[in-house]
Amino acid sequence: MKTITFNQIKTSSIALEFDEVIPDNIYTWDNSDFDAYQVPIGNSRFPITDFFDIVIEGEAESPAEVKMVLNGDYGRVKYIGCKMSAGEIIVNGNADLHAGAEMSGGKVTVHGNVEAHAGREMSGGKLEIMGNTKEFCGASYIGEWRGMTGGEIIVHGNAGKQCGECLTGGSIHVLGDCDILAGIHMTKGVIEIDGNVNRWPGGQMKNGNIIIHGKVGRLLEGFVEQGIVTDPEVQGKVYPGKYIEYKGDIALNGKGALYIDAEKNRDRLSTWIEEDDEYNAIRVYREQ
Amino acid sequence: MSYEPPVTDYDYIVENCTCAFCGCNCDDLDFLVKDNHVVAVRHACRLGASKVMEDLDQRLMVPMVRNEEGVLTETDWDTALDTAAEYIANSIRPVFYGWSETSTECMKEGLELGEYIGAVLDNQATICHGPSLQAMQNAGYPIQTLGEVKNRADVVVYSGSNAMNSHPRHLARWAVYPRGYFRQRGRFDRTVVTMDPKFSDTAKCSDMWIGFEQNGDYGFYNAIRAVIKGKKLQSESVSGIPAEDIYELVDVMKNAEFGVLFFGLGLTHTLGKQRNIDIAIKMVQDLNAMSKWGLTPMRGHFNVNGFNIFMAFETGWAFGVDFCRGWGRYMLGETNTIDLLVRKEPDCFMVVAADPGAHFPNGANQHLADIPVIQVDIHWGPSTELADVVLPGSFISVECAGTSYRMDGVPIYMKKAIDKPETCRDDEWIIRELKERVMKLREETNVAEKYVPNPIMDLKRLEKEE
Repeated sequence: MKTITFNQIKTSSIALEFDEVIPDNIYTWDNSDFDAYQVPIGNSRFPITDFFDIVIEGEAESPAEVKMVLNGDYGRVKYIGCKMSAGEIIVNGNADLHAGAEMSGGKVTVHGNVEAHAGREMSGGKLEIMGNTKEFCGASYIGEWRGMTGGEIIVHGNAGKQCGECLTGGSIHVLGDCDILAGIHMTKGVIEIDGNVNRWPGGQMKNGNIIIHGKVGRLLEGFVEQGIVTDPEVQGKVYPGKYIEYKGDIALNGKGALYIDAEKNRDRLSTWIEEDDEYNAIRVYREQ
Repeated sequence: MSYEPPVTDYDYIVENCTCAFCGCNCDDLDFLVKDNHVVAVRHACRLGASKVMEDLDQRLMVPMVRNEEGVLTETDWDTALDTAAEYIANSIRPVFYGWSETSTECMKEGLELGEYIGAVLDNQATICHGPSLQAMQNAGYPIQTLGEVKNRADVVVYSGSNAMNSHPRHLARWAVYPRGYFRQRGRFDRTVVTMDPKFSDTAKCSDMWIGFEQNGDYGFYNAIRAVIKGKKLQSESVSGIPAEDIYELVDVMKNAEFGVLFFGLGLTHTLGKQRNIDIAIKMVQDLNAMSKWGLTPMRGHFNVNGFNIFMAFETGWAFGVDFCRGWGRYMLGETNTIDLLVRKEPDCFMVVAADPGAHFPNGANQHLADIPVIQVDIHWGPSTELADVVLPGSFISVECAGTSYRMDGVPIYMKKAIDKPETCRDDEWIIRELKERVMKLREETNVAEKYVPNPIMDLKRLEKEE
């Protein structure tokens, strides 16, 4: 096991790019390699030792035996863990754009907030974000219709707009709230949202599953109510509770499933009558 | 509007000039010239005519450099170009923004400079039709030329666009009023629909006005798609529009012989952004199953589409292309001007024929005040106040010839009508001079070679490639 600790010395207003500093590349590196390595910043390269005090402990035979610990503020360090296939990266602070993008294995944990495009086009591995993340979490490259194809993303905070755009596999679990158009254009995979969603979950979805445990603000016309289901099983996992099931987006003949919590969204049901409504109370009284 | 007598005091007329204002690129203008100045313009709208006639109002005539006291002082071309080249050559994250009000020939020089120095090249699409371009990458681009609209269209839909104010001759010359080959009666043969939360001037001259609520675009278009697919709407109204009105609108759209959707910033910059365009394009594709439909973005500047077509042809991306690592990259929120400025990344900013000082959000302009800004423009504006080097260019289509692309992607050669002021230079010349001077400086500073971090890994990579 080889532990490489990066202790930040200074920050840069122009973002550093860490796409070359991943376990797959650096598992054989020792101090002399890091001294000679120059990290890309803008159109130039600067010595990485200017920005980080790097401590190496242990030896590694393969990328899987590498653990990178990044201490400090990484709000201006892009592409952390981008294209990694094995090993572990722990960020003790915020991370910038493209954290865990295109990763095919290993694990990235961020103990802070992450900027946009976290876990873009992931095909495997696990990305865990303890804070919030912004737009396009687990999305595709712009213009590509295949986004994240495998792996797992767990966001403990809130996710931004278009979370899981073009999802083609894998799972995204947001423990907080989600902004508009979660799972837009998705064709496969699972998105689970514990918090509330303000508008339009699953816009133009073809297939796949979205489970929302909170309140849904506005639903698209393309979703057709299928009735109430209890303890639905989605891809081998049972989600306990009562859910309203929708099928959509029928605007493009989609067969996706959208489950929203029945208790919190009871006003969405076509058979719903407001119980404490005064007119309703009068009607019930007269019937007696 | 008061009566203005026709201008009779002129030396000669230059016919078939092109307007350099909006994306309509009207190429039927006549310039009336007296003493090497355009005194009147025939056939143009008020916007285009005033831009051509008032070109010497607040005109930048001489190159300027900001001195140590922070005052712009006039200087000669050599000093100004050398100062600008030095700023660019010493920068780590340069951004070259603008390009929409200049010729495609000038962009060619700019791209060469950008690739050489590793800059971000971006244009006004980043604050206007960028979402449209992103959606086109996702969903396609069912476009037609404006000539087809004139000759064939019987249903014209304006969505989120007030063409009557922003593109005044669009209705008159192409979409609504003209008599075309298959539309001999002009306006009477066409149905005009305006989708806009506001009862705009375009809505006033339309047959149908769909005033859906703000930010309700995505839900509204989704409902239209569902109805086209034959579904009955569940709710009584969608985005503030009663269900019956949506059925009626879809009926009009389905029964069109040739329909066109023109969309503006009202659609690209409300909630949902590129997904609004995405679903509008998909709607047009759905309608093509039962009718013939196309769509066109209402581009603002006369050559904003030119930069997008040029960049897409040269690099594969339409705007916001980042060359900092030596190859082209493009990513939302990462290589776009506003995001870069708000993140306070750029350390050198070149504005070519644009006015970020007037159009950018405050947070972005705050950073512009801190970094060297080079302005290549013809008029004094808010950006001049932020600029450290001012290089006066010339007015394309009036003082200088060049190529531009209309909103539907038709290239138009804009010819020269009068001579430019003696102290100004062509934009193309300025950018080429800058490029040559930067190349001289950069050779001396000797950029760091790319370090090969792990010879073993690279050997493995080579084996794989073999």
